[in-house]
Amino acid sequence: MSDHHPAAADAPHEHASVATYVKVALILSAVTALEVGVIYIRQLTPIIVPLLLVMSMAKFMLVVMFFMHLRYDARPLTFVFVGPLIIAILLGIALMTLSGAFLLLHH
Amino acid sequence: MNPRAGRRVRLSVRLALLAAAALAGGCAWDGPMSTVVARSDLNRSILSLYTIITWATAIIGAVVFVVLGIVLTRFRARGSDDTTLPRQIHGHTAMEIGWTIAPALILLIIAIPTIQVIFRTQSAAAPPNALEVTVRGWQWWWEFRYPKLDVVTANELHVPVGRPVVFALEGPDVIHSFWVPQLGGKRDVVPGRLNRITMTPEKTGEYYGQCAEFCGASHANMQLRVIVEEPAAFDRWVAGQRAPAAEPSGDAVQGKDVFARNACVGCHTVRGVSAGVLGPDLTHFGGRALFGAGLWPTNVDNVAAWVKDPPAHKPGTKMPNLHLSDADARAVAAYLVGLK
Amino acid sequence: MATHEASLFRHQAAVHAPAASGLWSWITTVDHKRIGILYGCTAFVFFLIGGLEALIIRLQLARPLNTVVSAERFNELFTMHGTTMVFLAIMPFSAALFNYMTPLMIGARDVAFPRLNALSYWIFLLGGLFLNSSFLVGAVPDGGWFGYTSLTLRQFSPGHNIDFWLLSLQILGASSVMAGVNFIVTILNMRAPGMTLMRMPVFVWMTLVVQFLIVLAFPPITIGLVFLMFDRFFGTHFYDVTAGGDLHLWQHLFWIFGHPEVYILILPAFGITSEVLPVFARKPLFGAPVVIYSGVLIGFFGFGVWSHHMFAAGMGPVADAFFSIGTMLIAIPTGVKIFNWLATLWGGRLRPTVALHYAVGLVALFTIGGLSGVMHASPPVDLQQTDSYFVVAHFHYVLIGGSLMGLLAGAYYWWPKITGRLLDERLGRVQFWILFVGFNLTFFPQHYLGAIGMPRRIYTYLPGRGWEFWNLMSTIGAFGIGLSILLFMVNAVRSLRHGAVAPADPWDGRTLEWRTSSPPPPHNFDVIPPVYGRDTFWREKHGDSRGRKPAPLPANPEPHGIHLPAGSFWPLVTAAGAVIAAIGALTSLALVVLGALVLVVGAWSFALEHHRNPAHVEQVGNLGVDHRKLAMWVFLGSECLFFGTMIATYLAYKGQSPIGPYPHQILNIPVTSVSTFDLLMSSLLMVLALAAVQRGDRRQARLWLFGTAFFGMIFLGFQAYEFTSFVHEGLTLQQNLFGSTFFVLTGFHGGHVTLGVALLLTLWILDLRGRLDVRDSTKVEIVGLYWHFVDIVWIIIFTVIYLIP
Repeated sequence: MSDHHPAAADAPHEHASVATYVKVALILSAVTALEVGVIYIRQLTPIIVPLLLVMSMAKFMLVVMFFMHLRYDARPLTFVFVGPLIIAILLGIALMTLSGAFLLLHH
Repeated sequence: MNPRAGRRVRLSVRLALLAAAALAGGCAWDGPMSTVVARSDLNRSILSLYTIITWATAIIGAVVFVVLGIVLTRFRARGSDDTTLPRQIHGHTAMEIGWTIAPALILLIIAIPTIQVIFRTQSAAAPPNALEVTVRGWQWWWEFRYPKLDVVTANELHVPVGRPVVFALEGPDVIHSFWVPQLGGKRDVVPGRLNRITMTPEKTGEYYGQCAEFCGASHANMQLRVIVEEPAAFDRWVAGQRAPAAEPSGDAVQGKDVFARNACVGCHTVRGVSAGVLGPDLTHFGGRALFGAGLWPTNVDNVAAWVKDPPAHKPGTKMPNLHLSDADARAVAAYLVGLK
Repeated sequence: MATHEASLFRHQAAVHAPAASGLWSWITTVDHKRIGILYGCTAFVFFLIGGLEALIIRLQLARPLNTVVSAERFNELFTMHGTTMVFLAIMPFSAALFNYMTPLMIGARDVAFPRLNALSYWIFLLGGLFLNSSFLVGAVPDGGWFGYTSLTLRQFSPGHNIDFWLLSLQILGASSVMAGVNFIVTILNMRAPGMTLMRMPVFVWMTLVVQFLIVLAFPPITIGLVFLMFDRFFGTHFYDVTAGGDLHLWQHLFWIFGHPEVYILILPAFGITSEVLPVFARKPLFGAPVVIYSGVLIGFFGFGVWSHHMFAAGMGPVADAFFSIGTMLIAIPTGVKIFNWLATLWGGRLRPTVALHYAVGLVALFTIGGLSGVMHASPPVDLQQTDSYFVVAHFHYVLIGGSLMGLLAGAYYWWPKITGRLLDERLGRVQFWILFVGFNLTFFPQHYLGAIGMPRRIYTYLPGRGWEFWNLMSTIGAFGIGLSILLFMVNAVRSLRHGAVAPADPWDGRTLEWRTSSPPPPHNFDVIPPVYGRDTFWREKHGDSRGRKPAPLPANPEPHGIHLPAGSFWPLVTAAGAVIAAIGALTSLALVVLGALVLVVGAWSFALEHHRNPAHVEQVGNLGVDHRKLAMWVFLGSECLFFGTMIATYLAYKGQSPIGPYPHQILNIPVTSVSTFDLLMSSLLMVLALAAVQRGDRRQARLWLFGTAFFGMIFLGFQAYEFTSFVHEGLTLQQNLFGSTFFVLTGFHGGHVTLGVALLLTLWILDLRGRLDVRDSTKVEIVGLYWHFVDIVWIIIFTVIYLIP
């Protein structure tokens, strides 16, 4: 983590354009429609859970990267958000494992 | 492990703790609830690990204290006006790597047997000849059921020596923890979950235990005894337990009547008299040396005082004061003590 | 460089500081030094209360079958002793030093958010008073500081005792998280020019690690407490075994917090030791980067070892083995710290000041506590030690031998800086030795008592177990500790009355706080000090390792003067609102409403009080981002843990409910798809609003801001419709485990949406009144970040609850 970004402080932020925002919103809508659609396709049942998780993670990342412009912002902001996010995901998985939701360690 | 090895283990644990303690001169290690006296295969496994770890940590501790002692004696400033600057050393990479790796190796010495003991003591399937005992922790007493033997008792547990026992721990109210130190480590009694302890008692005797998870007002008053006896003696005890309740005589006849007329029957079972399930089974109450979850010797005086005003003797107890007259209380006590 | 430094502080020609004396100046103070003093004094009073509770506990246990207190009173005493010492004494002692010292040590004039800092303090004070007021109404918490369910459910603890505990813990948690965000931003963003992260004093590093632990560890316990509160107040089933609940859940949530909490309590003391040892050995800290990395590693690993508190709970051999190894790993960086401290002392010229006594005392006693910790890292051994007096001995060696010794080292070390007076060294040494002997007499025998089977938390014991003698000794030792604390008070009072006046730099210090007067002026430094490296002030005085003094850096001119923030009483009002609501939870709904109103009025007045104050417009710091934006991201990180825990609970409980209605019978996917789409579109409007504000297009800004809020309200309308129809179909909060988890999770999300709408409408009204333009874009940006976060949480919820079969 370097120390001073006088340039970052003074220069105008690089920003996504309104067109980009609209494009992202369209993709988000499309993925949502797709999510709702796939649950009615019986052939996808075996892979439905990972499929849905991947799609929702994709939406999650699109919003964070573009709408919350983490893509364009100072790097430390990514650390202070993604670090806790990873810890939260790991803790969540651990909690579910320990309480037997995955039936791995249950005895 | 042979008995001599067991003794060696026990001895070295004691020595190590002594070394760490440095004040252990007057300490006896064989109290009735000592964790460093092994009377089962389970506690022998634990104790062997305990020994390794005690030595490992004692050695690390000794190194730190020796270095600290040298530092404090050798490197004092000479008087308060000593303004000379010592050599300014910022670090030494090799040394720092050294004292990162050395403890890691010592931890490895601890970790490997730890993992072995965990899997040896926890995941082994119950041996086919094992005695099954269901342990139910109540606020604030212990219920023991032998499902295969059709025996129910409370606070005093009999098991035969040399035969594996599987304790199945069930919780009807809050979390308790079943702990008989000389027979092994504790395990929580968690409502909604089924925990188990498997062990083989190795020496006859009476072993004391106590609830080890805070469970409310009378947590301290939730004690138990385990009587490990020869198989023949155990079989006799089982036969006695399966026998019907003794018929009262003398004072006790009136006691039985008082018992049957009062709220006692709502919570307690005396086979043939009542079928309550919220309190201890009293069918062979008089055969248990202690009552009140290991608190008092079973005799007419003590039991009479207890039934007259239970909350005064055991804080928070679920057994209410039934306002028995002195005479009724003594009669009930005589009846109960007679239930051998 | 110089222009950037100037941009850090925009001020007028001279120092402008709020009024300096009188009660009102303390109530409205936003000065980090005064808040630090308030924290310290308050913590000390609570420390005395907690200590008194400990002495009564020890009196009761002095001999078998003792009757000093009843069983019930004893249980209250140990519950309050633990809760008080952790939350009201050790943590705020550390907070006092964070507050006073961190800005000074990084060369800043205050923390990033001075009023938020005051708010943290007032919430802590009122929350602590609220907890202790339970003594006055005779409903003292009695479920242990760990509050295991099901003992703490209404069924087994019917009084208000547990309610006091769970409400005050939530209040105190809020205070800690706010302070955590504040200090993270302060440390990352407000360092003096030249103070890179690796040049920061180790105490500041440990502060930083602790703040991250606080911000990430408090959400899981807050969720656990919310579940418990709902179970107790609203009849939900989170910890109801008959409804499919799992009692391990509470233990996990508690210890996911509880273990990092141990490091929250000990790392500040490690930081202090790492400052004190070099000063009094007159040598730099040996391997400072390694000490720093060790601290960071300890903090990080601290999140992966919580289940070692549950080895007896029956998690199974795989989990036991996993958490055992993790716990042993954490001993490595801890050991490294000990060795580096020893190497720091080696070859030094030790000046045996009282501060050094305490720092060395920490090294010695923490070593014992750490090693006994390694012993119960091994689950089989732990089964003989946990919940016995062995563990009591262990963690008192960590928390008194470690934390308290460290904090006392800090107290003696920084006292002259804070008060401008010296403490009596001779009396201090007497105090140290009484504490050292008393402490060891109290707690070392407890290892033995545990080894011969004495369980924890028993109010009495029978004779004949061999526990009598050392319990008596332990009680005698405890009074030694009490005497020592009494002597500390005598020393403190004498110093304040007629102690020798302290120079600016009494110890030949190494860090920046010694470069200003004792006590420092309100603005800390007349000019922001130059930073030459680690131990910058030492280098300035003595030169680097070869004795070369650094070339003086150009002094930082303060062309615009120094402008300190004005005082504010809104923090106190806001804090009062929270506590009034808590009192209402135990008495009447009207008081809850009143408290909430006071809270909202306080918070909004707080937020708008300095709108457009020039001192609050530009807040860009070292990282090149605005303080507020950094704070929002840190807060969102904390929220990840909050929602992550809740979603994980939902999933863990999925399918556990023995009775219906079940999810597939009740969830209406088409309707929710529409509301999901609505919320996604609101995020689009939000970015359009921000873009409009940034380019100064006020008409569009107004339109999109209102549009976002409007879409938010539509979403809430959908949720209201959904909740009502579910209730009609028989799914209520109390119906089953699914109802409890569903309504609490989506309800909390709905609460976040509501807050977002309120924020958006506030911005919109500001805009209508012509008070929102390009200069205020950061405000819109941070509200936007919050709004998008609420959106992404819904993205996850939608998938997890509604779509996954």
